[in-house]
Amino acid sequence: MSKKANPLWSFFSSVKLTIILLILIVILFIAASFLPQYGDARQYVQGLSPAAAAVFLFLRINDLYHSPLFYLLLGMLSVNLIICSINRFYFSWQQFQALPFPEPAGIFDNSSPNSIAIANQDIKSLSSLIEAFLEKKFGCVKNKNTENGIIFSAGRGRFSVFGVYIVHTSILIMIAGGLAGSLFGFKADVNIREGETTDTVYIAGRGMQKLEFAVRCDKFTVEFYDNGAPKTYRSDLSFIREGKVDYQGALLVNHPLTYSDIRFYQSSYGLAPDTKAVLTYTGGREKKASVVLAGGDSFVLRGNNATVQVLRVEEDIMSMGPAVKLRVSSPRKNYEFWVFQHIEEIKKANPGLLSQVPMFNPGLFQPYLFSLERLEQEYFTGLHVVRDPGTAIVALGGILMVIGLFIIYYLPQQRVWVRLESTAQNTVITIAGRTRRNQAALDRRITELQLHLKENLRA
Amino acid sequence: MSHTMILSIVTFVYFTSFVFYLFRMILGREFWGRLAMIFAWSGLALQTAALILRWKASYDLGIGHVPLTNLYESLIFFAWAIVFFYLIIEWRIGNRAAGVCVVPVAFLIMAYTSIAPDINNRIEPLIPALQSNWLTTHVVTCFMGYAAFTVAFGCGLLYLLKNQIAGKSENTTGFFSRLPALNLLESLIYQSAALGFVFITIGIMTGSIWAHYAWGSYWSWDPKETWSLITWLIYAIMLHVRYVAGWHGQRLAIISLVGFASVLFTYLGVNYLPGLHTYIQS
Ligand code: HEM
Repeated sequence: MSKKANPLWSFFSSVKLTIILLILIVILFIAASFLPQYGDARQYVQGLSPAAAAVFLFLRINDLYHSPLFYLLLGMLSVNLIICSINRFYFSWQQFQALPFPEPAGIFDNSSPNSIAIANQDIKSLSSLIEAFLEKKFGCVKNKNTENGIIFSAGRGRFSVFGVYIVHTSILIMIAGGLAGSLFGFKADVNIREGETTDTVYIAGRGMQKLEFAVRCDKFTVEFYDNGAPKTYRSDLSFIREGKVDYQGALLVNHPLTYSDIRFYQSSYGLAPDTKAVLTYTGGREKKASVVLAGGDSFVLRGNNATVQVLRVEEDIMSMGPAVKLRVSSPRKNYEFWVFQHIEEIKKANPGLLSQVPMFNPGLFQPYLFSLERLEQEYFTGLHVVRDPGTAIVALGGILMVIGLFIIYYLPQQRVWVRLESTAQNTVITIAGRTRRNQAALDRRITELQLHLKENLRA
Repeated sequence: MSHTMILSIVTFVYFTSFVFYLFRMILGREFWGRLAMIFAWSGLALQTAALILRWKASYDLGIGHVPLTNLYESLIFFAWAIVFFYLIIEWRIGNRAAGVCVVPVAFLIMAYTSIAPDINNRIEPLIPALQSNWLTTHVVTCFMGYAAFTVAFGCGLLYLLKNQIAGKSENTTGFFSRLPALNLLESLIYQSAALGFVFITIGIMTGSIWAHYAWGSYWSWDPKETWSLITWLIYAIMLHVRYVAGWHGQRLAIISLVGFASVLFTYLGVNYLPGLHTYIQS
C-alpha cells in the first residue's frame, strides 16, 4: 500500500511514461542522425549568442549519443522498467499460479452456438476421449465434477507470463553492457609496417597507449578480383611477450584476432613511403651479388673501394618503368647513372641509346654491371585495436531478448475448459478458451478441436 | 531464360494481381479475389525461381554468393518477402481484402528496380567486408521484418480508410462494406507488427554481430544503425500502446504508417546521410 501512495513510485510505474520516454529518445535519435556528430564543438557555437552557446554545450548537441540528456533518458527508462516490473510481478506470479478451477466465471456463457456438440454416448467413454484429445493438444489435463457436469481443464505456456520480464531485463542488461564498454574499454588504431613490431597504439582523443605486449606484422597481403575490386586483405601477426613469440595468427576482414582480452581488426592498409630496390651487380673479382636498398642507402663494392649510393628509387620514370639512380664514388671519379628494371626492352626499342645517353648505361662504372631485379614495396597494415568488456554482457542481453520474445509470441499461454453436461436426452459438450494474446488463434484451435471431436464421435 | 527476364515478368504478374485485388474490392466478387491470389502465388513462384537462378549464375561466374548483397538484390528480396508474408497471412485468416494495399507495394518495388537509374543489377564479387554469413542472416531477417511491417502498413491504411468512412455514415455500402471488420484489421496490424518486431530485433542483432566481426564495434551510431533503432523503438511503442487507456485502433493504425515511413527511411533515405552502410549505393 505504501508503494502505491508514493507519487514518485506511481510516476515511474506508468506505461504512459514509457511511451513518452521512448518518443523522446526517438526524437533525440532523429536529431542526432541529421546533425553532424563528433564534430568540433567550437565550430558549432560560432555565431551563437553566449546563452545559446551555453545551452548548446550543456546539451552536447555535437555528441548527442554521449550527452547528459541521452543518459538521463536512458536512466529514466531503466528506472521506469525496474519499477514497472516490480509492480506487476505479483500479478504475473498469480497468473502463473492460477489454478484451473474454479473456471473463470461465465466462461461458457458466450461460447458461440457452434461450439456445442451433441452426442448420444455414455459419459465414461466420452470423458476418456476428451481427456486424450486435450492431453495430445495441450498437455496436462485436470478435471472436476460440478453440479453442471464434468469440467476438464488443460493449458500450456504458463511460463509465458515471464517472457515480458526476460525481455525487459535484457534491455537493462544491454544498457549496462554498453555502459561498461564505454567506461572500461578503449578503441585504438595502429599502423604497422611489414616486418616491424610495435607495442603502442593510438586512442583518438586520449593519445598513445602502451600495450602489455608487442605486435609484429610478419606479412601483409592484398588480393584483387579481375575487375579491380579488393578480394582479400590479410595480415599475418605475431604477438610477442617478454621477447618471445607467444601467439601467431592470420587477421582477415571479418575474422578478428583476440589476444589477451584485446581484439585486433583489419581496418586499412597502405604503401610505406620508402620503397626498396633489389639490385644485383657483377664485375670485378666477384660473382653476382645482390643488395636491397632504400633511397639514400649506400654500400661498398667489395674488391674495390668505391661506394655506391642510391639517390632515387622511382616506380616509373619517364614511362620506362621502375628505375633507381645510383652514384658511384670511387677515388678517381664519381659516376651518376640510372639502372632500369626493363633495360633489355628499352635497348631493343632504342638501339644505340646507351652510347648516346651514358646516364642510362647501367655498366657505366666499369667493369661493374648493375641491374634492377625488382622494387620491393612495403605495405603497412592498419589495425583497429579494441578492448570492450561490455560486449559479452550485451551479447547475453541480446540472447535473452530473443528468448524472451519467442516465449511471449510463440509459446503463448493458452487455457481451455471443456464441459460435459448430461441432460435427459443427450450430452452437451462446450469448449471455451482464454489467452491474453491472440484470442483469434486460440479460437481457431478450439474450432479445430470441435471438428475433430465431432468426427471422432461420429465414427 | 535469364533471371532478369523472369523478374520483368514477375513485375507484370504482381501488377495484374493488384488489378484483380482491386476488381475484387470494387465489384465485390470473390472470383476476382481468387484470380488475384493465383497470380500472386505464381509471381512468387517465378520470383523464387529467378532468385535461385541468380544465385546459381553468381557461382557460374566464379564469385558465388547469396543474392542479397546490393541494393538491387535487396529490393528484389524485399518484394519477395512482402508477397510471401502477405500470402501466408491471407491463407491463415481466409480474407483477401488487404491484398489491394499490400501487393501494389511489391509491384512498385519491382518496378523501381528496373527503372531507377542508379541501381546496378550486375552480379559483382564481394568486397572483404561483405564476406560474412552474418551479413546474409542480417539481410534476410531485416527484410522479413520489413515485409511484415509492410503488411501491417497495408492493414493500417485499410483501417483508417474504413474508420473514416464508417465514422461518417452508418449505412456503409459499396466496397467499404466489403473491407474486413475493424477489429480483424486491428488484430492483423498488431500481429504483423509483433512478428516484424521479432524479426527486426534479430536483424539488428545479427547486424551488430557482423559489425563486431567486421569493424570491431557492435554499435557505432552510424545513421543506418540509428535509424534501424528508431524503427525498432516505434514498433516497441506500438506494442506498448494497448496498455495505455484509449490508445487503440486508430492510433495503432497511425503508428503502423509512421513505422513504415521509418522503415523506408532506414532502408533508402539513410543512404543520403554519410556512414558505413553507404556501400549500398554502389
Ligand atoms: C525499449 C524498451 C522496451 C521494449 C523493447 C519492450 C518490449 C516489450 C514487449 C515485446 C512487450 C510484449 C508486448 C506484447 O504484449 O505484445 C512488452 C510489454 C510490456 N512492457 Fe515493455 N518494453 C520496453 C520498455 C518498457 C518499459 C520501460 C516499461 C516500463 C513500464 C515497459 C512495460 C511493459 C509492460 C507493462 C508490458 C505488458 C506486460 C504484459 O503483457 O503483462 N516496457 N514490452
